[in-house]
Formats: sequence, C-alpha cells, structure tokens
Amino acid sequence: MNKEYIIIAFTENQIGVLNRITICYLRRKINIESLKVSESSIKGISMFVISAFTTEEIIDKVVKQIRNITDVIEANYYTPDQLITQEIALYKVSSKMVGEHGRVDALSRSLSARLIEFNPSYVVLEKTGTREEIEQLRDDLQRRGVLQEFTRSGSVVLHRDSLEEILHEIENN
Amino acid sequence: MANKQKVKGGEALLMALLEEGTRDLFGYPGGQVIPIYDHLYDYRHRINHILTRHEQGAVHAAQGYARATGRVGVCIATSGPGATNLVTGIADAMLDSTPLVCITGQVPATMLGTDAFQEADIISMTMPVTKWNYQVTSASEIPRAVAKAFYIARSGRPGPVLIDIAKNAQVELMDYSYKPCLSLRSYHPRPVLDAELAAQAVELINAAERPLILAGQGVKLSGAEQSLIEFAETGNIPIATTLMGISAVANDHPLFVGNLGMHGNVAANEMTQHSDLLIAVGMRFSDRVTGDVRNYAPEAKIIHVDIDRAELGKNLRVDIALHADARDALEAFKNGLQHRSREAWFAFAREQEAVEDEKVFSHTEDPQGRFITMAQVIRQLAEVERGEAVIVTDVGQNQMFSARYSRFNTTRSFITSGGLGTMGFGLPAAMGAKVGVPDREVVAVLGDGGFQMTMQELGTIMQNQIGLKILVLNNSYLGMVRQWQQLFFNRRYSFTELENPDFSKIAAAYNIPSRRVTEPAQLGNALREMAAAKGAYLLEVAVLPEENVFPMVPAGASLSELLYND
Ligand SMILES: Cc1ncc(C[n+]2csc(CCOP(=O)(O)OP(=O)(O)O)c2C)c(N)n1
Ligand SMILES: [Mg+2]
Repeated sequence: MNKEYIIIAFTENQIGVLNRITICYLRRKINIESLKVSESSIKGISMFVISAFTTEEIIDKVVKQIRNITDVIEANYYTPDQLITQEIALYKVSSKMVGEHGRVDALSRSLSARLIEFNPSYVVLEKTGTREEIEQLRDDLQRRGVLQEFTRSGSVVLHRDSLEEILHEIENN
Repeated sequence: MANKQKVKGGEALLMALLEEGTRDLFGYPGGQVIPIYDHLYDYRHRINHILTRHEQGAVHAAQGYARATGRVGVCIATSGPGATNLVTGIADAMLDSTPLVCITGQVPATMLGTDAFQEADIISMTMPVTKWNYQVTSASEIPRAVAKAFYIARSGRPGPVLIDIAKNAQVELMDYSYKPCLSLRSYHPRPVLDAELAAQAVELINAAERPLILAGQGVKLSGAEQSLIEFAETGNIPIATTLMGISAVANDHPLFVGNLGMHGNVAANEMTQHSDLLIAVGMRFSDRVTGDVRNYAPEAKIIHVDIDRAELGKNLRVDIALHADARDALEAFKNGLQHRSREAWFAFAREQEAVEDEKVFSHTEDPQGRFITMAQVIRQLAEVERGEAVIVTDVGQNQMFSARYSRFNTTRSFITSGGLGTMGFGLPAAMGAKVGVPDREVVAVLGDGGFQMTMQELGTIMQNQIGLKILVLNNSYLGMVRQWQQLFFNRRYSFTELENPDFSKIAAAYNIPSRRVTEPAQLGNALREMAAAKGAYLLEVAVLPEENVFPMVPAGASLSELLYND
C-alpha cells in the first residue's frame, strides 16, 4: 500500500548530490511530493528532507541506494508520525473576504493565520501547521472563490530523537 | 612527491595517473583534450597510450584491461561526442562493477552552459551510471580529483568514475603535489564483518543437508578465490558460479557443479531448486540467475554476502544478510564449520549432470554432420587452450556457448558483458585484456553481429600489434534474437538475418592473418593454427545457422521449467 515516507539524508555540501538523490526516485518512477535542502547544524553538511508516496519495501531499497552515493553521510526513512513536521504556507486572498469579517485581524484570527500584508486588492496570510491543516485552509479558501495565490515551504522536520548525533560523532573524529 | 613544482594542469593529470600506477591508457583525442595529448607526447615512454578507433573501443578496452588485471582501467576522450561515445561502456562497467577512471575534456569554464561547440553535459548524463563523477574547472583541483577517483573506483564495490576537465584547467599553471586518497568521511567501502551473524550463518551451514554456494564476481573482486575453495572443501559444499563468477573456481574442481541461470547447467539450477541452504557470495540475484523469484529455491534458506548493502534484500528476501567483503566472510565461515559427507546431495548432482549429458552434451553436433556448431567450436577450443586462455566474449549465443563450454584453470579468465549485455564489447575488451596480460593467450569469441559493432578496432590491433586471437562464429544471424523468435514468436525472423562481408578480406585489409572454415573436419586444425599464431589472428567459423542454446530458462519462468532441444 502506498503511504507517505520521508527520507532524511545528510550529505556533503557538494554539487550534484541533489541530482544523484533524485535519480534514485526517478529510476523507480516515484514522484517526489516535496523536497527541501538546507544546511544542517554542522557547517558543510546539508540536510535533505524528501517526501514521496510509495511502499515500505520500495522506500527501503531507495534509501539503501541513496546511502550508496559517495557524498551521502547518512540516510534513513520515516513515516510522518515519527517526525515533528510543520509546513509554512502563504495565501493571497481577495480583500473582499475582509468585508465579510469586518476587520482584517478578525479574518486572520478566524482562520488561525497570521496577517503579512494587507492592501485594497488583496490580503496575504501566513499559516504554519501540519500538511493537513495547510491544505484544509487552501481548499476552504478555494471553495469560497477567494484564493488568488498559494505557496508552501515543504516539510520542515525534527525527529524526536536527535538525527544529527551521528554527524557530531563524525565532527568529533 | 611532496615537493611542490609548477606544472600545467594537463601535465598534473599525467603525473597523478602515474602516482596511481597507470601504465596503459586507452583514448581518442579531440579539441578539448589537445593540451593533455600534448603532454602525453612527452610522457609516451612512461604512459602507453593506445589510440583506439572509437571512444566506445577505448572504454571497453579499459574494462577488459581492468577485468583481466584487477587494476583500474583508464580511458580518455574529448568533450561532446567523445564523451557521449563513452557512455555505453560506463553503463556496462557500472552494472558489472568494473573499476574505471574515465577522463573527458570539457569546454573552458567560462563557456559552460552556453551550448559551446562540442559541449555536452556529461556530468549529468553519466550520473546514473557512475559511482562518482566530478567536473574540474581549475588546474589546482586535478591531483585531488584523480586521487579521489582512483580510491572510489577501486574500493568497496568497484565501479566507473568520470572526471570532466575543462580546457582552461588543462593549460593553467598550478603547484603540483600529490597525496593519495585513503578515506572519505561520507564513504565507508570496507564493511566490518558482524562476527555474530557470521557465526549464525555457520550454524545454518552445519545444519544444512543440501547446501549450495553461489559464487559471483565478488569472489574475484575481493581476491577470495582461495578462501572460497578452502571454505567449500572444509564443509564439503558444492559450488556453482554466476555468469560473472565464471573462472573464479577451476572447472575441474570436484566440488564445482557448473553455472547458474538462464543458460546455466542443469545441476547448478536443479540443485538451487532442491537446496535447503543457498550461500550466495558476491552475487546479486539478477533476474538472469533467479528466473521467477516467487518460485526460486523454494526449499532453501538463504545466506547472502555482499559488500554492497543495497544488494542485500534487493531482489529477494534472505534469511541472513551479511554486509561484508567476500573474503572476510568466507574466512569467518571456516570457523566452527563441520565437514559433512552429503552423499545423497552429491549423488543428486551427478544425476543431474547425467541428465545434461544425455539431453544436451550428446546433441551438440549437427546430426547431419554438415555444419560446424558453435557448441562444438567452444568445446574444441577448450581442448586446444587447456583452460589457460582468457576468453573474452561478445553478447548472444556466442557468449552463452562460451560460458557453457569453456574451461578454466585460473581466475579472471572469463570476461563478458554480464549486466548490460553490450554487443560490441568483445573485440575491444579482448584488446584491453591482452594489453593488460600480454603473456597470456587471449581469445575474443564474437558473433558476426557483435563483431561488426566495433570491428573498426582491428585498426588498433594492427597499429599496436596486439596479439589477440579473434574467433568469429558466423551464423549469418543475430542468433540469440533469432532463437527467441523461433521459440516464442512462431519462427517469425523479423530483421535478424545478416548478409555479411567477407571477413577474411577485412582481416587482410588490416594485415591480420585469417582463415575461414566451414567443415567440421577442418575445425581442430584451424583452432590449433590459431593458437599457434604468434601475433593477431582471425578465425572465422561458418556455423550451423539455426542452432539454439539449451538448456534455457525462458525469461520470467521458474528455474524448474528448463527447455531442452526437442
Ligand atoms: C548493443 C546491443 N544491441 C542489441 C542487443 C540485442 N541482442 C542481444 S543478442 C543479439 C544477437 C547477437 O548476434 P550475433 O552478434 O551475431 O551473435 P549470435 O547470437 O549470433 O552468436 C542482439 C541483437 C544487444 N545485446 N546489444
Ligand atoms: Mg550471429
């Protein structure tokens, strides 16, 4: 059964690693849902967070192939419930919505979103939450016909245990 | 060479290659490597550069060289078309774990990404088929890139790497000093053997009634041939080899039961299906070995030893997955191993060998006695060469007959394109092998189709006086495809018939002595003449056009569903 699996990989900050990692998905025709690369807490080591829908059997093979990449230091896969996952999204909404709520801060409060920018033609709201929360608000605004633009960050994750312990070991060696 | 000296990048490359022990280099020049070639001119007495007739020839030659010697094969090509012509060989080396360092020229760094003349993004193109690749844009990066390249190519599970060197980096001056690469923090090629898991494996082995060792190329790559024999003899366990493992064990070893897979031996395949324990070492359960995995080795537990973690559990579930170098594992398996007589098991092996004798070996000649058969050629070649030659094959029926009927006394003597099945591999790979082991007899066994894919390398053989023997098995067909058409597509021979040139005229054009035989009675004499030839020699054998390789496990069928000739 296809489920969401998140691979977290720590790599040398080298050109081409991103390409080599995505090839491991591509060659099995797995669509990447979201992907985020950023510097880890250790200088020179990048952290990849990649989410895709597939089976556990397949993701296990993918992660092994990712580990084989010379510049990959460590890679593991997780299900969303093993991680603390948050996303941030921006919603550009028609300002006619404000009318319905009377005041713009009332609007943002009612949607549990933060007000970023407000002008006569549109309002930009920001929301941080789980994937479901982010998508729920998007669908809701879309249904009401007021959503003009939408953009999201992809998952920002933390493991309950430290994922970077292994990196500190490397750093201390 | 710790002392710094100022040299150009192109020279730094050659100095670094020498540091890594490179003595032979296969290549083809072009605009973006001319500076390197200019230095090669000065280094020609230290580095033996062999000019091939096509970059594909250069990379296959480097592969044959690496496979015969165990050293890293090195090839060089210019940017753009030169680089793309290497790709087939690189993909082949990736699947067959062959250590290669491929060097390509590239447009100057300032022109990257501009669609400059002969610019090809070879880094992106080769990412899926290299173990590692790297683009050098300044001369100072060269020694480090070369050191890393060799280290990665030959360590762990070997494979091809590519260094793409921008032209400006070849001509810039730099301070040369060389430090070999000994480790990388993100790369751990030598796994630590889990002794406890190895001990559990030994318990399984001691308890097994019908164990079978499946030996792959990993045995050769780790230099574990002797350990394998000692392990097998200590436990009295039969050994079968994969296509890539052929010659790791001498054919006449009493524990050797033959080759596995699609066109393997009856005993090896039937024993797989009846075994209660498979001990797989340095092999990857390719679909050509397993057939239908759901019906593969139904009674067996499986111990799988591989240096590449990604292979463990990739194609089938195993009971003990031991991430280890083959030699380390085989040495560990000897601890506490019991010798068991396994009489019934060996009796089963002899029974299955008798089945093959009756159903296959006794039908390898043309019943009418008119045509020579491929099987006959390889069987007689084995007699003439007495197991001492390096046999390099092309792909197709010629390859499968060579695998089935060649005999070997020494390791690294069977060189074939296993994973990719690359037609055109045979001739250039044999050329590279002969350059690597000049004192050994090297025979290229080729089909009429595959020969014509890289036939231009006869020019390389002529110019460099490479004394290899070329055996062309001419059935006037793309025989292996024709066999499938006959068996599975109602004999509809769609575009598999070949009208061939006069191969002896072609050989003559290259000053290579040759002979063509058609009569079974001439065969032995012709093979002996070829073996006795001092330099290069081409023997064309016109063989039975519609011969088939049997037994055969049809693609996707279970190993128990062997097809025979009937
Ligand atoms: C480059 C390449 N193209 C196509 C094939 C498919 N193929 C496999 S075997 C074969 C026939 C080979 O014919 P020949 O070289 O005459 O050898 P034979 O089987 O007749 O011994 C073909 C076309 C291949 N393996 N490699
Ligand atoms: Mg043919």
